[in-house]
Amino acid sequence: MDQTLVEFVKTLRTAEIKVSPAETLDAMACLDRVGYDDREFLKNSLALVLSKTPEEKEAFDTCFENFFNFDHFEDSDFLRHDDDENAGEGDGDSNFEASGNSGEASSGGGQGASGATPEDLPELKLQPESELGRMLMSGDRNRLTVALVEAGREVGVTDIVVFTQKGLYTRKIMDAMGGKALGEEITELQGHGGIQQKMLSGALKKHRDRLRDRIRDYVEKQFFLHADESGKQLREELLKKVKLSNIEKRNFKDVQEVVIKMAKKLISIHSKRRKTFKRGQLDIRKTLRKNMQYDGMFFDIKWKAQKVDRPKVMAICDVSGSVSNYSRFLLMFLFSLAEILPKIRSFAFSSDLGEVTDLFEHSTLEDAMAKTMRDFGNGSTDYGQMLADFKSHCMKDVNNKTTIIILGDARNNYGDPKNEVLREIYDKCQRVIWLNPEPKMSWSVGDSEMKKYAAACHQVEVCNSLVHLERVVGNLLRNVS
Amino acid sequence: MALKNDDRLASVDVIQQNFESRNYIANKQIATAVFLAYHLEKPVLIEGPPGVGKTELAKTTAELLDLECIRLQCYEGLDESKAIYEWKYGKQLLYTQVLKETLDEVLQGAKGLSQSIEKLHEFGDIFFSNEFLEPRPLLKALRSNEGCVLLIDEVDKSDHEFESLLLEMLSDFQVSIPEIGTVKAHTDRKPLVFLTSNNTREISDALKRRCLHLYIPFPDADLEKQIIHARVPEIAENLRSQLVNFVQELREMDLKKVPAISETIDWARTLILLHSETLDQDLVNQTLNVILKFQEDIESVEPEIATLTNKALKNA
Repeated sequence: MDQTLVEFVKTLRTAEIKVSPAETLDAMACLDRVGYDDREFLKNSLALVLSKTPEEKEAFDTCFENFFNFDHFEDSDFLRHDDDENAGEGDGDSNFEASGNSGEASSGGGQGASGATPEDLPELKLQPESELGRMLMSGDRNRLTVALVEAGREVGVTDIVVFTQKGLYTRKIMDAMGGKALGEEITELQGHGGIQQKMLSGALKKHRDRLRDRIRDYVEKQFFLHADESGKQLREELLKKVKLSNIEKRNFKDVQEVVIKMAKKLISIHSKRRKTFKRGQLDIRKTLRKNMQYDGMFFDIKWKAQKVDRPKVMAICDVSGSVSNYSRFLLMFLFSLAEILPKIRSFAFSSDLGEVTDLFEHSTLEDAMAKTMRDFGNGSTDYGQMLADFKSHCMKDVNNKTTIIILGDARNNYGDPKNEVLREIYDKCQRVIWLNPEPKMSWSVGDSEMKKYAAACHQVEVCNSLVHLERVVGNLLRNVS
Repeated sequence: MALKNDDRLASVDVIQQNFESRNYIANKQIATAVFLAYHLEKPVLIEGPPGVGKTELAKTTAELLDLECIRLQCYEGLDESKAIYEWKYGKQLLYTQVLKETLDEVLQGAKGLSQSIEKLHEFGDIFFSNEFLEPRPLLKALRSNEGCVLLIDEVDKSDHEFESLLLEMLSDFQVSIPEIGTVKAHTDRKPLVFLTSNNTREISDALKRRCLHLYIPFPDADLEKQIIHARVPEIAENLRSQLVNFVQELREMDLKKVPAISETIDWARTLILLHSETLDQDLVNQTLNVILKFQEDIESVEPEIATLTNKALKNA
């Protein structure tokens, strides 16, 4: 019984519902109280204990429906056979607990028995030797269900990760249920030649095929239950590491999700930091003054509150053809970070610099991206012009609390780099961070001016994947807050 | 646990009926939450948009069990001296002044400083004993003799530190006071704890882990009609369904603050005061400020009133 719950919890975890061991224990206590009798009651109760946000509640709903749903042997035609034995019925509840995996499932109707006996065939008198064969012929659905689930557990079907493993697991479960012995028996019976043997082997074969279908079905369900989500996690992990320029268009949506998740993580870390600073140091002057009225006894202690300066960030993105893929993601990231960095200003350029802060504030992510690319993208790069523009428009807003992030490959088409302007900016602001999507190797090759610019930066980083981006922005927040 | 009247929490159905007789319409989830909270001895964290009856649930439970409802309203800057206990500084000061006179008697016969201090030590920490302790809601709840319902309202408004402070209380039903020791609730009469949150910020996982989590969304039309019926029984049936339909439509719109159940109830009462029989455009126009609390919302709804009213009338 506990095994069922543990497996259910495992399913929940793959569906990104965070369930701690303590909550699992709570769920067990809750089960003791509630029992398996009333499905809705059980569902409501477990939802209270295990899912803790509205999103999780929704995911919980689907998981519960999928998990406690068990109809593998319910189809009316399955296991209908010529035997009179009516073994198909079982007490729904007891079966539920035994099979350890069903809801109101396999209580199924009394369908298991007696389809019409074909009149012209002699009655089948032989009984199969192998255990699985006997089980199949007896038509005991409950036992088959139990056997199937147990076999599944034995071969670890819940570890299934990718789609292509379905065949493998189907075969493994078949073997674990005793499929080999059954196969041998069928071959043997066929070799024997008697009419009874032939009939039995035919019947067994038919049952075996159906059983295989059922197992495949079962594996498929398990796949959707366990692997679908973990596959997604796998994909997200991969996306984080892959070079941004190599991410394909169809994955953009996933990337966006990852970016938002990362930003959320950073936000939660850093907004917490802010709170811990709240009390600060003892303010002796204030305390003394306040406590004069108590005859100089310190009852009411005053603290010096520390004011946290939010970083003022200006992000400048090269959106010319060569690096547009990267800037797209940086912009996306900064877009999501706006919640902790209220003073962020974003600029885009190919040759002339333009501010896109307002655009970002007032439109959706997709719109903003598209418009930025349309207005500023695809020109030939001119870093010198960009720096000159920045100097003339924004220099007055730069002070010693400003952090400037520049994203670009520093490939200036052999134009005037104007690195002395960057030097001026460097002297005036708190930090200049240059993120270059190219590997260090190629920084001094061709028209790259990175070496010259690097001299006027506080920090120069290679940044071409989401992991890099997260690290850089995380550091940025840590340094300035 | 054995609180008095606990037969009223015997099963989910019983709870639902009892709540209904006290004019609180609870769906299965809500009733299950109360049931489990009592039987598993766990606090319930209630989340949901404002005005769906989170606070009311705690109050109704208290009423149902005929227990005291101790309420702790959270706000930014709330700390242990407001939530758990405080020393009665004034009383302590006064006593020190008064006792100054008797100090001589106490120290009589003591030779030298060290002996005097030894004598003083014999007194123990009288100034930090129960007599000087001012209990605040959490401590009151733990000490309550016949059990109580503890409502920690809008816990999301408090700081992270306060949340951590609550953890000991929520998992073990005890609080530690350094000068006195640990105060524990009576094992049979632990307080029934409800926490409410409007989700203005994420509640920490540690707190969530210790609680049952109940999410109360806006009700569907049928449930809302039942609620209005229970709360404002004097309203005519057709007007009731008209106004519920209207509010349901409003919730579909893109508003700064959509009307909650409490606003629907207010509106129903308003319409009764105005002796209205049926909803019409003028009436809606005049009373819109009862359900919409922002001028910009009112402005964006105003041009739609005709269509919305017609729809509400047609569906009723």
